[in-house]
Amino acid sequence: MPALSVRHLLGIKYLNEKDIQLIFETADQFKEVINRSIKKVPSLRDITIANIFFENSTRTKLSFELAEKRLSADVLNFSASQSSVKKGETLIDTVNNILSMKVDMVVMRHPNPGAGIFLSKHVKASIINAGDGAHEHPTQALLDSYSIREKLGDVAGKKVIIVGDILHSRVALSNIFALKLQGAQVKVCGPKTLIPKYIESLGVEVEPDLRKGLLWCDVANMLRVQNERMEMSYFPTTREYTQQFGINKELLDSLGKEIVIMHPGPINRGVEITSDVADSSQSIILHQVENGVAIRMAVIYLLASQLNT
Amino acid sequence: MNILLKSARILDDQNKSLHGKVRDIWIKNGVIEKIATSVTPDSRTKVIELPNLHISPGWIDSSVSFGEPGYEERETLAHGARVAALSGFTDIILNPNTNPVPDTSGDIVFVKKTAAGKGAHVHPLGTLTRLSAGTDLAEMYDMQKAGAVAFYDFKSPVTHANLLKIALQYAQGFGGLVFSFPMDASIAATGTVNEGDTSTKLGLRGIPALAEEIQIARDLSILEYTGGKLHIPTISTARAVSLISEAKKKGLDVSCSVAIHNLFHTDEVLHEYDTHFKVMPPLRTAKDREALRKGVRNGVIDMVTSDHMPIDIEEKRVEFDRAAYGSLGLESFFVILNSIFGPELAVEILTRGRQRFSLESPVLKEGARAGLSLFNPEGEYFISKEGLLSTSKNSMYIGKKGKGRVYGSVTEHQVYLHKA
Repeated sequence: MPALSVRHLLGIKYLNEKDIQLIFETADQFKEVINRSIKKVPSLRDITIANIFFENSTRTKLSFELAEKRLSADVLNFSASQSSVKKGETLIDTVNNILSMKVDMVVMRHPNPGAGIFLSKHVKASIINAGDGAHEHPTQALLDSYSIREKLGDVAGKKVIIVGDILHSRVALSNIFALKLQGAQVKVCGPKTLIPKYIESLGVEVEPDLRKGLLWCDVANMLRVQNERMEMSYFPTTREYTQQFGINKELLDSLGKEIVIMHPGPINRGVEITSDVADSSQSIILHQVENGVAIRMAVIYLLASQLNT
Repeated sequence: MNILLKSARILDDQNKSLHGKVRDIWIKNGVIEKIATSVTPDSRTKVIELPNLHISPGWIDSSVSFGEPGYEERETLAHGARVAALSGFTDIILNPNTNPVPDTSGDIVFVKKTAAGKGAHVHPLGTLTRLSAGTDLAEMYDMQKAGAVAFYDFKSPVTHANLLKIALQYAQGFGGLVFSFPMDASIAATGTVNEGDTSTKLGLRGIPALAEEIQIARDLSILEYTGGKLHIPTISTARAVSLISEAKKKGLDVSCSVAIHNLFHTDEVLHEYDTHFKVMPPLRTAKDREALRKGVRNGVIDMVTSDHMPIDIEEKRVEFDRAAYGSLGLESFFVILNSIFGPELAVEILTRGRQRFSLESPVLKEGARAGLSLFNPEGEYFISKEGLLSTSKNSMYIGKKGKGRVYGSVTEHQVYLHKA
């Protein structure tokens, strides 16, 4: 049976193209499963997975939990606010305590970049990174590429623009890695204050003008403005942000071509995207959510099948 | 105890007649009694014979941190001074980053007394401001009388330009040396590593080189206005070297140092988020490293330091953002410096900087107080955790190969030698 080249999913940059194809092919099968009347397979009946979230999350956590349950794994949920860190327990101790209850796999979200990589060097379980600071969010990028593949047939050769707060975004970084790996062209667009100065070293171009970017692209991935990650103001007002980097129906219709609209959610309706665009036929936002479960099932299944090797 | 160093090759480019020669050196009552091709010692003399023994005037390190008082679990003064001596150093400048910080003459006296006779001479820095809070000047004059060799709010930028102006003006009354850490805090913000390709790929918040450069440009402008003596510790960028070079050409009384790790590593080593490489200022790019090495060679950079910073494991075995800054450096300093510059330049570098702190330089001549470093410049040296003598083990050099090895040092009548 084909296997992944890694034992953990810590970031897209640790994967190769074959890994991505294998994840997609596995997800195709699971997508078929979750559309049956009995949405569950017994694949992981002997596996226990802990979802450890050191940062708030609703959709990612639900999506992972559902994926785990569809695979018949036993699921343990642990939400630790930063206050438990203040009590003095280290990350290694927290996770080892959970693992000593015979847990096989850890899905972790953490505010610090590299936290999953750090953990993978110190504990025995297989680790899935569900977002680590401004570093990576690999399952989001996988489901985004999977959704492009589903909509446009292939990712290779497609032109994708990522719009918004690139500086604080793990979704942007993982997407850039994933899209480049599959041979897509990538541009980023946003206020210069929210574009990392050295972003071009990742092989992407910066497009300061949203309209030009949309005219160029096949797919626009509209990121959420993450006010909670900003320690200061990077632009004067959201009103002004929207004027320059928000997408609305009028702009979309003026392009004279059909592009695919994506958003990792949760949406700030009326800020980066208007309701009529988010709900339009060009938007695949809800497909992304649906595909998220299939992708996460595939990742968990593939990593679990390596546990005993 | 009297000491005879048998067949030692002398590296001392200040001393043309002895430089490169093999001699016996007899040290009696802490003073160099005789330097000759062969010396027959008296019966109370300990004879030291070591493979390919080289000696030089004692080395100095201008930025060393221990922990006492307050962080004794990192390193104590007595043990730290001993580790320094075993690493070849006869003098170290001790950073004022204890708890409480040394901001009165009493604190300076405590450090000097506690470390005296335990190993390398320890020359403490006092803080620049009370509590290192960055608002009111500390009693610099009184601390200098007690033995403080300069004034520094450890790795805290002097945020208020006027405070630096006043400090530089005031310290001129007694020839005081003022340190200013080169970082604009508002530009550096919450960054932890160099801003560049690596930080972008790793999602770590970057500190732009700009943060260092505008602070240095500001400080040099202030120095030009005030006069006085300014030291800029641990620079890390190419532009910093050129700014200081220009200032020196203008005749400003400015000196600077660079940490050995900024001459050895680049930020690319961070790809695994290894907290051993988390240092302040951060590791920069290959271009910066080259400019810094050049600055050391041509003398624009006055001193290279280990920037020795013991940190206990609890503050390093955590997520990168939460880890403390700093690496051990004293014990691997010579072997790394030697691997970059070769023994002659390495030794020259390691003896630089005493004048800046108004310290007496040890000399290799009969009748002088003994202050010698003992080493072998040849061979490969594998740096291992087990081999580290420091109380903390947070060395970024573990697993690296250096060149040569250090045997130890002689400080007056004391000889500090590694076992085996």
